[in-house]
Amino acid sequence: MRSVVDFAPEDVILDRAAILGSQGIPEEAELTENFERIYGEAIELFKELTEPAGIICGISISGFEEVFRGEGLNEPSNPVEDIYRKSGYLSLFAVTLGAVLSEKVTELFDSGDYASGYMLDSVSSYAADKLSDLAARNLQLELTAKEPAESQWRVLSYSPGYCGWNMSGQKKLFEVLRPQEIGITLNESYLMSPIKSVSGVLIAGSGKIHEFVSSYHFCDTCRTKSCIERMRNL
Amino acid sequence: MELLEQISFNLQNGLDDVVAALTKDAIEKRIPPGEILSDGLIAGMSIVGEKFKNHDIFLPDVLLAARAMNGAMEMLKPLLIKEGIPIRGKVVIGSVKDDLHDIGKNLVAILIKGAGFEVIDLGNDVPAEKFISAAKEENAHVIGMSALLTTTMPVMKKVVDLAKDEGLYGKIRIIVGGAPVSKEYALEIGADAYSYDGANAVETVESFFPVNN
Repeated sequence: MRSVVDFAPEDVILDRAAILGSQGIPEEAELTENFERIYGEAIELFKELTEPAGIICGISISGFEEVFRGEGLNEPSNPVEDIYRKSGYLSLFAVTLGAVLSEKVTELFDSGDYASGYMLDSVSSYAADKLSDLAARNLQLELTAKEPAESQWRVLSYSPGYCGWNMSGQKKLFEVLRPQEIGITLNESYLMSPIKSVSGVLIAGSGKIHEFVSSYHFCDTCRTKSCIERMRNL
Repeated sequence: MELLEQISFNLQNGLDDVVAALTKDAIEKRIPPGEILSDGLIAGMSIVGEKFKNHDIFLPDVLLAARAMNGAMEMLKPLLIKEGIPIRGKVVIGSVKDDLHDIGKNLVAILIKGAGFEVIDLGNDVPAEKFISAAKEENAHVIGMSALLTTTMPVMKKVVDLAKDEGLYGKIRIIVGGAPVSKEYALEIGADAYSYDGANAVETVESFFPVNN
């Protein structure tokens, strides 16, 4: 079933330590007054301008097989394929923080206020990931409520461009999910607009299905290595 | 504190209005523009760069300083040209065709500019031909390209190949960067260098110009 999900701006919890961490700043770092001012202003701007929205669409394993195959450019061996085949439930998803935030970031840079532009962009990137986590959490709660006996549901999101799922997979995903309804479009390079959007598949199953050893050849060049923390938090 | 030291000090603190006023004052006091640049602005930015490298300050602080530097440079540039003082070097920069991510590229451009280089920012979604034509028109020393998508990275190779076709290869240095780009990829396509972040991009560009050009 395909449905639009309403999020409220306050649904996106902004964790200061995590935002600063994403900028490479350790928790114990002493920050300048300028930095604190810019950070505070960015948080206020974010709360004022964010327009979070999402769309999800449940899909069968065979249906997803076709979406995942996409343009046939995935890595021959990848963790996503192993994980989705063991899943109990799958849902395509896309979430966005809306266009206004990205426009504001551009405006700040264009006006020469680089520091504020950078900070708002950084806060927004963090928030976009959190929104995707929220979509996964909501599905986990929904599945657990439906099947209380099966309380071991663990839902994680996987996106084209990561873990061997080629970026071109966006094309098929967009054909089925149609996130244009919430304002997300795709360009020829499979880049989403608004930029602060995340799309992919929510894979539900026991925590165990999400575990894998990150020793695929593409893991060497992966910058995020976020799979390690995701698996740790299962 | 001497005027140029004040410029350096206030630039380090990102006080763009103060730096602009002090630079104006220095110009009016007929301090040679080359001296204002080297002993005031670049001296300040060098300390900012050091503090950043040592994690004493972080990127937003550097960007505030860069803004102050750029504001002062707007005043100094016509005087430097008039006195025939050469710029440190000219860099043409952009995000490659079909890539609409430009924050990383913007940061690199700001930091390179903040280090005293002239930057021609072509924006995002820049076709390979445009990098080459702009580099030729501007007599640029460096082309900097950014890609955030694996699907747009091949444009970088196209630029290198075009540079070879146009006889620019080896004359203009080519730097590539962006999340999916690596040192190995830079080597594979024949780029001169790979930069993993803005500060590293500045160091790389500076390494092409060991002495003020």
